[in-house]
Amino acid sequence: MKRLLVADDSETVLLMLQRRLEMAGYDVTTATDGQEVLEMLAHGDLQPDLILLDAMMPRKSGVDALQELRAAGLGVPVLMISAHLDAQEPERMIALGADGCVPKPFDWDELIAQIERHI
Amino acid sequence: MILFALLLAVSLLGVGRLFQIRVDFEDETTRYFQLELEGERMRSGFVLEQAAVRSPAPSAQPNPAELRRAAASFATAADRASELTGGDTELRATLERLVASETAWREAVAGPTLRGRSPSLRVRTRLSNRVTRSNEALGADTAAARDAVRQAARDDTRETTILVVAGLAGALIAALVLFSGLINSMRAPLARLVDAARRLAGGELESRVEVGGPVEIAELGRAFNEMATALERDARERDRIERMKDDFVLTVSHELRTPVTVVKGFAEMLTAQKRGLNSRQYEAAEVIADSAEQLQKMINDLLDLARSDAGKLRIDPKPTAVRGLAQKAGRHMRPHFEERDQRLTVSVEKELPEVRADADRVGQVLANLLTNANKYSPEGAKVRLTAQRNGSQVEFAVSDDGPGLGEEELDHVFERFWRAQSGETQEVGGTGLGLAIAKSLVELHQGEITADSVPGKGTTFRFTLPVADGRRRRRTRARKPAKAT
Repeated sequence: MKRLLVADDSETVLLMLQRRLEMAGYDVTTATDGQEVLEMLAHGDLQPDLILLDAMMPRKSGVDALQELRAAGLGVPVLMISAHLDAQEPERMIALGADGCVPKPFDWDELIAQIERHI
Repeated sequence: MILFALLLAVSLLGVGRLFQIRVDFEDETTRYFQLELEGERMRSGFVLEQAAVRSPAPSAQPNPAELRRAAASFATAADRASELTGGDTELRATLERLVASETAWREAVAGPTLRGRSPSLRVRTRLSNRVTRSNEALGADTAAARDAVRQAARDDTRETTILVVAGLAGALIAALVLFSGLINSMRAPLARLVDAARRLAGGELESRVEVGGPVEIAELGRAFNEMATALERDARERDRIERMKDDFVLTVSHELRTPVTVVKGFAEMLTAQKRGLNSRQYEAAEVIADSAEQLQKMINDLLDLARSDAGKLRIDPKPTAVRGLAQKAGRHMRPHFEERDQRLTVSVEKELPEVRADADRVGQVLANLLTNANKYSPEGAKVRLTAQRNGSQVEFAVSDDGPGLGEEELDHVFERFWRAQSGETQEVGGTGLGLAIAKSLVELHQGEITADSVPGKGTTFRFTLPVADGRRRRRTRARKPAKAT
């Protein structure tokens, strides 16, 4: 079973994502900000197959977390979740080291397709 | 100003002087006429004196009483004449000579004749001739004096008239100079006012005018500045409220997104696990999912419009194949048309150039237009999506054979929240924002969107996109390495 780490600052969104991704057959771990994501990865006891990162979160944003984990040499696939999706956003995220970018609100089929493509 | 007043005063004085000259002239000539008259009286007095001395008939005796009366008449006339000579010494001298000659005649001729000793004819003739000549001299001198007065009055009048005319002309020139000076002093501040008003009208709200010029113009300038300040204040306030509204819509839409995302996600999850629900629960989950979907679309539309208003809606145009755009839109919408037994045909002209387009956004425009055609056309209708070259642009058209729109409805079709009144058909869902967004997006692409319709026959929406300029792109690409080195 593939393991996903999902981070979003809204607990309801997080719960929804967790339940639906579990239904889709993934093992899901959740975090509520970028700091938590980095801590989980630092201890080495979590080795996800893909990380879903909300770009905007308090404490440490998804964008910052993405840059730090890439700087630490982690090559795990990362999909950014962005609510401010203008046309240039995916390119910008990929330039920062992400593997892709999904819009929020979610188009579920597209989300699953992107996860499958990058795992 | 002072010069003007001075010149005007001079000419007014001149006019006064003209009147005075006229009055003086009248007085003088009257005096000389009177003097002449007195001269004539003296002449007739002397004639009577001579007649009294030289009796008409040889039998008759000289008449002393007659002589006295005539001499008195002469003397009275001489006295009056003496008064009338005034300061004129020459005239007075002539008059005195006349009086003296008459006195001499009376003493040498009249007196002796009355006493019966008439002097010789030669003496008589000489003395009486002297009186007559003196009398004529007085008449001539008076006439000459009168002529001199007339001449002097004429000269005086001419000079004064010249003075008056010159004064008036000078005053006129001074007035003109004064007037043009006034006009000139108004010209620059007025030009500044005109300029400032134009700039204000052109949207430069900080446009103010430098106050100056004549009092009234300066006052006008101040009033203009007050007006401009009031306008600027109002405009800034309006901008502030507009920005607040934009921010508000952006924030609210954004905040709404999270809960709607969750509702929609869970509803979809429920409908996906059909087996665990009974039919009513499944129906409820489906309705929740559909409503959430609709809500989400509306929020997306509102966000797009709010961003567009705030100038934050951006597109990423790239050279894009027209056929791909049209076919993708057709493919996405086909299920909706099939649902209503409608037929959608997509036809794209052959060998169309690429257009400069943000594929997702143009897809959104096409989807909005096709959704409208789908919703507003009756079941079984035909809808056409076409694309063809039109000059340096490509024109897309979506036509339906639905009920069509009236002229007045066409005017409102791109307004927000405006919905066509479809009397006979059931209520049509939607936000009423689709066409407003389509218009914003097409305009962001430097294109143009129009609607035309024949009631009862159908409606056609057309929009244009610019053809991608291949040459320019090559040039910018060619230049980049040159810059890097």
